[in-house]
Amino acid sequence: MSGKPLRIPAGLVSAVVALLIWQIATTWGPLAGSSVPTATSTLAELWNMLFMSETWDSIWQTIQMALYGFLIAVVIAIPVGILIGLSRFAFISTKFTFDFFKVIPPIVIIPITILVFGPTLQMGVFLVVFAIVFALAIQTAYGVRDADPVLIETMRCYGMGRAKQVLYARLPAASPFIAIGIRISVSAAMIVAVVAGLVGGAPGLGHDLLLTETNGQNSATFAIVLILGILGLAVSRLVVFLQRRLIFWTAS
Amino acid sequence: MATAISVNGVSMEYKTPKGTTHVLDDVSYEVQDGHFVSIVGPSGVGKTTLLRLLTGLALPTAGEIQVRGKKISSSPDDLAVVLQDYTRSLMPWLSVEKNIALPLKNQKLSKAERKERITASLAEVGLEGAESKYPWQLSGGMQQRVSIARALAVRPSILVMDEPFASVDAQTRFDLEDLVLKVRDDFGITTLMVTHDIDEAVYLSDEIVVLHGKPAKVRDVVKVDIPFPRSQMETRNDQRFAELRTHVYGMVRGLE
Repeated sequence: MSGKPLRIPAGLVSAVVALLIWQIATTWGPLAGSSVPTATSTLAELWNMLFMSETWDSIWQTIQMALYGFLIAVVIAIPVGILIGLSRFAFISTKFTFDFFKVIPPIVIIPITILVFGPTLQMGVFLVVFAIVFALAIQTAYGVRDADPVLIETMRCYGMGRAKQVLYARLPAASPFIAIGIRISVSAAMIVAVVAGLVGGAPGLGHDLLLTETNGQNSATFAIVLILGILGLAVSRLVVFLQRRLIFWTAS
Repeated sequence: MATAISVNGVSMEYKTPKGTTHVLDDVSYEVQDGHFVSIVGPSGVGKTTLLRLLTGLALPTAGEIQVRGKKISSSPDDLAVVLQDYTRSLMPWLSVEKNIALPLKNQKLSKAERKERITASLAEVGLEGAESKYPWQLSGGMQQRVSIARALAVRPSILVMDEPFASVDAQTRFDLEDLVLKVRDDFGITTLMVTHDIDEAVYLSDEIVVLHGKPAKVRDVVKVDIPFPRSQMETRNDQRFAELRTHVYGMVRGLE
């Protein structure tokens, strides 16, 4: 691909332009003198924060919530999705309920989770699980159902039973679907881990956002937003990288 | 010669919301050991249904199919299949070697035996050294060769093929036809093939079963009395070849 070597510089260029627009807008533009800090003061604040252990603790807490929640959701959703996908009846009957839960924004159950868990890491983890487990299970079930009947029949002709069909055909066939589910889930997990702090008071970057905002530390608030952006970008890049390695056959 | 497969009064009905579809009606014929038998008929006549019954993927609503005197109730052990759609019947996430190894693992062969069979069957189909390639890195004809190699590796006594050469170009098709004949000669495998190509059926077969009607019955079983070995150049110019293809074509189109 000829465009590939250009990708990183091109991304950098747009980032620099965005920072410039931000700087101009907050220095001479319509946002001058507003509560929006300038790009330079935000970057300076970000630089300072990188040397504070509290920042890294918060980052780690947020990652932990997202990661644990994500892992628990995966461990639940993939086996459940496989089982549901194997039976037409189970698929149709659970799809309705799962779709219902899938569309409930996790934010609406925050009051309940605060009552149960308090503003803790566990609460954040629970919210992350709730936010992604249903969609991931449905996605897995779809993938399992998508396995080519010709392939399954070929296996049956060669005397391979249900367990082998699942292991060698249905799971690999489902993996591109699961990968899409995982890509969406990872982003959602990060967002929900922040919201859990911002709205529910769970520890981490979300909670820091809430604190700096109420204290009027606008540069710090924006610096945290920058951290979240960089973190999100890194995580999604990592997932895409792993996906390309693991599900190589769909690339061509 | 012993009977490899006998189809005895097989009927097949499908229940659909609109009612019952009667696909096959009292189909009977016998396949001798080591014979190459083609099943032809107009499209939609029920050739694929019959093939599903032969492979044990479905059970007939009446009658029975016996393999070496034993009624089949699921896919027989020593049966191998080659299907039309090689892209759908091979696993894109497994290398050629692993695709072929899967049925062998299922037969609980040791690693050394698997290795030996994979090498031998790839050599038989002219794909030496393709072990570590993935199916999607190969041409259509080569992928179908992999399917054939997978079938051969299980050392089947019966090979069932569903339109095996319908998705490859004409030149490759001739090559694969000759490959299948060579394989039959080398291993003496009883081969059943569903095809819509009457020339191909005449070229390859000892016998051709012609299905016709709705529900389908055996219209005729045509003996192809052209001696083996056959060749693409000579056999297809043979007077007898022309007569047989005209005869079979006439029956398939319902003109005879």
